[in-house]
Amino acid sequence: MRNISFILKQFSRSVLLAIGFALLGSAVYAQTDAAKGEALFKANCTACHKVDQKLVGPALGPVVTAETDDKWLYKWVQNNQALMATKDAKAMKVFNDNGQQAMTVFASLSDADVGNILTYVRAEWKKDQTPVASVAGGTAAESGPSNLVIFGLIAVIIIAFLVILILNKVIGTLERLLLNRKDIPAEEVEPSEDKSAARKAEFKKLLKNKRLVGFFVVCAVLCGGTWQWVTLWNTNVHQGYQPVQPIKFPHDLHAGVMKIQCQYCHAGAYKSKNATIPSLNVCMNCHKAVDRRLGAKEPSTEIAKIYTALGYDPQTSKYDSTKATPIQWVRVHNLPDLAFFPHSQHVKVAGIKCQTCHGPVETMSEVYQYSPLTMKWCIQCHKRTEVNYKGNAYYDNMIVVHDKIKRGEKVTAASLGGIECGKCHY
Amino acid sequence: MESNKKYWKGLEELNNSPEFVELNKNEFAEPIPIEEILSGTGLMTKTPRRNFLKALGFGVGAVSLAACEKVPVHKSIPYLIKPEEITPGIANYYTSSFDGHAILVKTREGRPIKVEGNPTDILAGGGLTAQAQASVLELYDVNRLQNPVKDGEQTSWDAVDYFVKSQLATIKAAGKQIRIVSSTVNSPSTLAVIADFIKAYPTAKHFNYDAVSYTGIIQANQNSFGKAVLPHYRFDKADVIVSFGADFLGSWISQAEFMKQYVSNRNSKSLAGKKMSRHIQFETGMSVTGSNADVRIPIKPSEEGIALIALYNAISGTTLPGTQKLNNDVAEKSIMIAAKELQAAKGKALVVAGSNDVATQVLVNAINSLLGSYGTTIDLDNTSNQFAGNDHEMADLVTEMKSGAVDAIFFLNANPAYDYYLAKDFKDALAKVKLKVSFSDHGNNGEGVSTLGDETSSLCNVIAPNHHYLESWGDENVLEGYYTIVQPAINPVYNTRQAEQSLLIWSDAPVKDYYTYVRNVWDKELLAKGGLSGQKGWETLLQTGSVKAAEKTASSYTFSKDLTAVVQKVLDHSKEVTADGDKVELQVYQSSVMRDGKKANNPWLQELPDPVSKVTWENYAAIAPKFGEKLGYKEGDVLKVTVNGYSVTLPILFQPGQAQGTVSVAVGYGRTLAGPVGNGAGQNAFPFYSYRNGTMQTAAVASIEKTGDVYTLAQTQTHHSYEGRTVIQETTFDKYVKDASSGNRSEREHKTYTLWDEYERPQYNWVMAIDLNACTGCGACVVACNAENNVPVVGKDEVRRRREMHWIRIDRYYSFNENVTKEKEIDKLDNLDHVSVVYQPMLCQHCDHAPCETVCPVLATVHSSEGINHMAYNRCVGTRYCANNCPYKVRRFNWFNYWNDSRFDNYLNNEHTQLVLNPDVVTRFRGVMEKCSMCIQRIQAGKLKAKIEKRPVKDGDIKMACQQTCPTNAIVFGNLNDETSEVARALKSERTYYVLEELNVQPGIGYQVKVRNTKETEA
Repeated sequence: MRNISFILKQFSRSVLLAIGFALLGSAVYAQTDAAKGEALFKANCTACHKVDQKLVGPALGPVVTAETDDKWLYKWVQNNQALMATKDAKAMKVFNDNGQQAMTVFASLSDADVGNILTYVRAEWKKDQTPVASVAGGTAAESGPSNLVIFGLIAVIIIAFLVILILNKVIGTLERLLLNRKDIPAEEVEPSEDKSAARKAEFKKLLKNKRLVGFFVVCAVLCGGTWQWVTLWNTNVHQGYQPVQPIKFPHDLHAGVMKIQCQYCHAGAYKSKNATIPSLNVCMNCHKAVDRRLGAKEPSTEIAKIYTALGYDPQTSKYDSTKATPIQWVRVHNLPDLAFFPHSQHVKVAGIKCQTCHGPVETMSEVYQYSPLTMKWCIQCHKRTEVNYKGNAYYDNMIVVHDKIKRGEKVTAASLGGIECGKCHY
Repeated sequence: MESNKKYWKGLEELNNSPEFVELNKNEFAEPIPIEEILSGTGLMTKTPRRNFLKALGFGVGAVSLAACEKVPVHKSIPYLIKPEEITPGIANYYTSSFDGHAILVKTREGRPIKVEGNPTDILAGGGLTAQAQASVLELYDVNRLQNPVKDGEQTSWDAVDYFVKSQLATIKAAGKQIRIVSSTVNSPSTLAVIADFIKAYPTAKHFNYDAVSYTGIIQANQNSFGKAVLPHYRFDKADVIVSFGADFLGSWISQAEFMKQYVSNRNSKSLAGKKMSRHIQFETGMSVTGSNADVRIPIKPSEEGIALIALYNAISGTTLPGTQKLNNDVAEKSIMIAAKELQAAKGKALVVAGSNDVATQVLVNAINSLLGSYGTTIDLDNTSNQFAGNDHEMADLVTEMKSGAVDAIFFLNANPAYDYYLAKDFKDALAKVKLKVSFSDHGNNGEGVSTLGDETSSLCNVIAPNHHYLESWGDENVLEGYYTIVQPAINPVYNTRQAEQSLLIWSDAPVKDYYTYVRNVWDKELLAKGGLSGQKGWETLLQTGSVKAAEKTASSYTFSKDLTAVVQKVLDHSKEVTADGDKVELQVYQSSVMRDGKKANNPWLQELPDPVSKVTWENYAAIAPKFGEKLGYKEGDVLKVTVNGYSVTLPILFQPGQAQGTVSVAVGYGRTLAGPVGNGAGQNAFPFYSYRNGTMQTAAVASIEKTGDVYTLAQTQTHHSYEGRTVIQETTFDKYVKDASSGNRSEREHKTYTLWDEYERPQYNWVMAIDLNACTGCGACVVACNAENNVPVVGKDEVRRRREMHWIRIDRYYSFNENVTKEKEIDKLDNLDHVSVVYQPMLCQHCDHAPCETVCPVLATVHSSEGINHMAYNRCVGTRYCANNCPYKVRRFNWFNYWNDSRFDNYLNNEHTQLVLNPDVVTRFRGVMEKCSMCIQRIQAGKLKAKIEKRPVKDGDIKMACQQTCPTNAIVFGNLNDETSEVARALKSERTYYVLEELNVQPGIGYQVKVRNTKETEA
């Protein structure tokens, strides 16, 4: 019996193990399929397609889920041109439904590859579909709290006001009670008045002490003067100025997390006096495809502002210039117009990092003025910064540079006339 | 000997009149009345203590409140979709053309702000006239018509089209006449459009009407050689030039082109080769050309014909029948000298005359034929298309209109209601025409949005406003074989439409879009002329701006007609304009600045002083000083000039060099519907024209009388005086050939002691060289500087107060031909007929030891390590010490906020006009000094460009605005540290001297001695 049970045990164990392995294996197999699909999807399809919405091509989720004929889909993906050449009715319909835009031919994708992609897309779409209801509820609730908070605050204020009123009444009652018992206060008041008179006398004595008064006056004048000096120096200096912009453009996300080069958007900095605020077509290079934050279910309202400004309809991918309205950014760095600051000189020629003047923009969620932008600040930098003359033939003929290098001195911007009035003011 | 020669800017300086002496005591004409306040009752009045405290309290409070205000929020609005070629902050240049010159239009962020000559331009090689420089301002003129107008009401293009087309249909059906009147059209595309229009309406006829025409020359060539053309004159090929009243360096035919040609034989390069042309001018009033001549002989208009006959006789050695003797010994003698020199230079001689009389021009042709000028200095095969108007056509038109035969008339860039001599006749006749259409683009009576247009369009039922040329497509063909393209540099600002497009629509042409039309014309024939074709050819054309077909060989022509009848006509003409009794001979001329008055509403041109008289904002009656004194007139007296019942009142200007017994009056002024700038500036002299022998004649017999009024002209000539210090140095060509440094009294060899420390100029030493022999005084540089540096226009009143703001001015100096020294001045009134003139462009000299810098209490003006005198406007507190201490008088004080003050409504006090401002130069505030910055924005930009391209700055990379526009290259700018630079070589010339060198301020601008090709023998 014991043997049998032992054997049974062994057997069941091995069976269980086998089943377990099998299950595990199948699970592993299923995973690689979708993962491979995801990699392929991102490498080949994302330029034109998204799972849940229309980009250049149609939203793949619903389309691929609705179409069950995988064989046809393989053919379509691998060579839609060939399929259309045969006047395949389904293919022609797809072609005509999507603005007669031909899809790229992917001859390099095998049937298995396409299968993997389809699996991935269908799985994604399914994932997207299921939690929709709860997400919708969530967002509805999300917008609620702001009102709740306001009402709550109003309630707290009213309650606090009531408490103060009640406490005031209580104090009043207590005072009346005290006044009714006249004997007690009479005894206590007398000595306190005596004391205060003495204090007053002492204070008067101090007031008559000319040295002491003089000391305080000097202190006051010094403090006041210093305060005024600092205030006047900082008049019209707006360091830290952080206006509210029409679009909450997060530099920390773009320049920080995404590591986009500053000049990708501010292209003028290389060639012009102006760094230039990017025109919206630059935004659309990415935001035609990206309309929401990573992982967000709803399109971002801030990105939608770009579409509105351009008169762009993300559903139809069409621009309507009659609806276009320019975005009025608020200028953060305001140099007076009497000072000419050429960005290209500093960025392209001198090779100065944007952050030197604009601060850690890559960490700013909303840009603020980092530097004081005073003339003193300019001059200081010109006096300290070495000229980036290496490899620039422009500086080859400059006797002064040669002399200084020979003597081992620093060649600063100032030594090349960089602090003369007419270099910036004309 | 030259050291005693006296130079003077005006008669008041020559005579040291008390007013002149008084005005010169002060740097500024009207001192601030501080003294009065301090010494007079200002301090004596009692202000109650309470009132004082109230005012103080309010003042402090207001200031604090104002200071509390947050800094205004600046908005930054980027493009929605940025055009690929635009980078904010970087200028784009587009080729186009103006008056046949290939130009480059500088645009910033889509708006044209400056016009430069295209270096490939065959006319002036990158030089431009003042008119071209000023043309960009007209784009922003708020007096432009903003919508089509029908019967005085703004309307839509559809309404206009419907009306015009239905009217034309009726007229066509009735077989009535249609006329198109334009100023000369040389655009192949426009001509094709007009031809198409005529095809659609066969009764239509087009003719050119030029306010100032060259019919005389064209007709004379028809009579002499059977070619009704305006020839191409080649002053560069002429060694001896004799001109009878032709102002070829000013308003005659093609100013910039002739300037370049003329100076090519007189500039440093030519002098270095020991070669200099000789120029003799016979003329009535002193013109720019006459002032540049080596010998200038004043003659009356009536003497011109007789002098020409005498010249013909002298050259041919015959005596024409009817020859008369000149009543002018000096002229007689000079004619003999001129004849001898012309003969000696056969084949390299040129005689031109400004007269519009056919017979006179035939005589000139005969002389030129004797001299062998045809095929060398006059090209009758590669002709000029600049002016093609024929005067008799306008006269015929008026007759036709009166008869009621004409039912429709179109005016394209023509304004006969203003510039036709019988304007009233014309207007009366015009009233009989049913359909009157004008393409006028601007003009206003100064009230609100313009619905009137100019003088002619205000009489029309339809105004179909044309685009400004910077908004247009088109082409020009001023010289045979030279085609330039006009391309828009901005979208139309207003609801205007190109005239050609209107004509295409009205004639129901198959191609209604004018751009397509122009392209077709070019594709069909013009591109091929430049060896281009197709889309690529078109694109190349848009980049280069012009095509040039191979020049035909200029063949020689011989005059073989009988001159007897011609001579009789010339003599008759002389007789007609001879004044007898107390009458005077009137010369009506075109000033080189205002020309025919089409640009009268341009404040840059109005404020540009006339090169010779230095008068701004109006015209005047120029008479000789001696003649004026004889008649008992004083300068500034208002004179009533009457010819044939038409009279105008004009202030007198005593003009040295003016022929005795003559009065000269300029046309182009006295507009009534030009706009607020041009309206009321001067008086209209066009009615003084007369129509004789088929052409317009510019001379007449006038009676003059004093009205008793006195008027002060806004004349800049004696502003900024040197108080008798000699700033001009000159020599004669003969002496120059013997000794290249003759006339140069430079004190280089003297040991100098200096109060100041020496500073190094390690990298650059920006300097300038100005060749006095190349400068003709035209003033294009002044307008170019205005446009580049946002120099404000101050208006007539402020000019009278000596407050003009020009950073560069052209000083004009008179001197006596003989060496009249102070001791020998008794006979000077006789000598005032024969004065010689020198022009000197004067701008900040960027002295190394600048006197202005040492007196500035706030260090607003300091020196740079590149040799430039910097001016930091925002540091300036307006003490004006610097201006007082500047020996060159080149500093200008801002008395007002010219760009934000309703008193200066004629220029920048308007957001729309402010779009013309150069964003690379600030506008200056009231109370601040300003002066030439040596276009520091261009220097900085040039250096930056070199740095970005990692190369040294090349000579010629950086050009000053004044230098770039100068057709004669009189101004050279560059780095003196670079020994191979053009400027370094120019300054090494023996002719170089520095103005007021004796002060040891070490100016950075060297001038080159003026050389005159005068001979010892002549008057």
